[in-house]
Amino acid sequence: MGDRLRQEGVSLPCTRVAREPGTKRPQVEPCAQIESLSAAAPVTFASLFFAFLQVSLFGAGGGIVWAYRIAVEQRRWLAEEEFTDILSLCQFMPGPNVVGIAVCVGARLRGAAGAIAAVAGFVLVPGITGFCLGIFLLQYAHIVVLQHILGGVSAAASGLLIAAGIRMLKPHRNRWWAWVTAALAFAGVAFTKLPLLPVLFGVALLGIAGTMIARPRPQ
Amino acid sequence: MTGTSAPLALTAHLAWLSSISFGGIPTVLPYVRDFVVVTHGWMTDQDFANCFALAQSIPGPNMILMMSFIGWKVWGVPGAIASAFATFGPPCILYFVAWRLWHRFRAAPWQRVVRGGLVPVTVGLVIAGGAVMARAADADWRAAAVTVVAALLMWRRWLNPSCILLAGGVLGGLGLL
Repeated sequence: MGDRLRQEGVSLPCTRVAREPGTKRPQVEPCAQIESLSAAAPVTFASLFFAFLQVSLFGAGGGIVWAYRIAVEQRRWLAEEEFTDILSLCQFMPGPNVVGIAVCVGARLRGAAGAIAAVAGFVLVPGITGFCLGIFLLQYAHIVVLQHILGGVSAAASGLLIAAGIRMLKPHRNRWWAWVTAALAFAGVAFTKLPLLPVLFGVALLGIAGTMIARPRPQ
Repeated sequence: MTGTSAPLALTAHLAWLSSISFGGIPTVLPYVRDFVVVTHGWMTDQDFANCFALAQSIPGPNMILMMSFIGWKVWGVPGAIASAFATFGPPCILYFVAWRLWHRFRAAPWQRVVRGGLVPVTVGLVIAGGAVMARAADADWRAAAVTVVAALLMWRRWLNPSCILLAGGVLGGLGLL
């Protein structure tokens, strides 16, 4: 959907598209109220709430996939390119990444109130039900079978995290500097007792400096 | 479990960690563990791993749930609510402000440089988060093998993540780990 729209050069009804000299991409500026791609009516707060409720409930272990499926493919709120942009922002901002997607999509469609509606949908109902279910199960965490089950899930879930990290490197796999940076960050956290902030900013500065030096000359 | 200073310290620490959790909450899991298991001894490594496994297997906002379980262990329901808000509240404000700035300068060349430098850092931190959790969860080579196979299945997209977690739970439940 996003691809088709881009190819046909369709612009959103409520965005100003201006091509600046020296940039490859057109600059899209948001207006006060952005309308949905598929319908003329603005996205309601309720639909933002329920969309991210859905992302939250389906997205165990991979919320980003579901956020894409619902916001881009099903509800057609955003072009694919715009979602990727939001995702790359959320990837290196602090916090739960999918909450970040909720904030950005909500803010993009309906401003601050939209962001609140989306985050509330993501957190409120699944948080309360999940918490009740969780503390009920934690009461029985000493039972041997449950302990074994949780142990198995924990081992598998650690693997999922590792894989999610590896997948995020994919767009950068051709840059050797990205591998060095990733390895340094990994080693800094996993093998040293250094506090997080020095590791984070030290390696981040290295990463940015390396990218500036190693990057191919822009046309 | 303890006086009011413990839940306050936990909430403040979680709010701080969530504000610097570049790449997602999993990147600061080692530091959460340090704080609640090593420094304060509010729970054992086993408890911590249980919270992680439960949060991962219950549908919903996993890391927010995990922190609410930890908060609940320290200070009951109020602790759970405070911990949950500390986990997603500060980042929400940061996300909102950052989105506005990012959107305004989305065509600027410096954005590509910054992205190219920071994404690998994020990658390293996420993998380290997984490795530290694996160290807490993997008691022997069989559990470690589950971790490796799960990572492989997820990386190649051979299996839905829910199925992988389910398989881990079944293997554990059958006493194979």
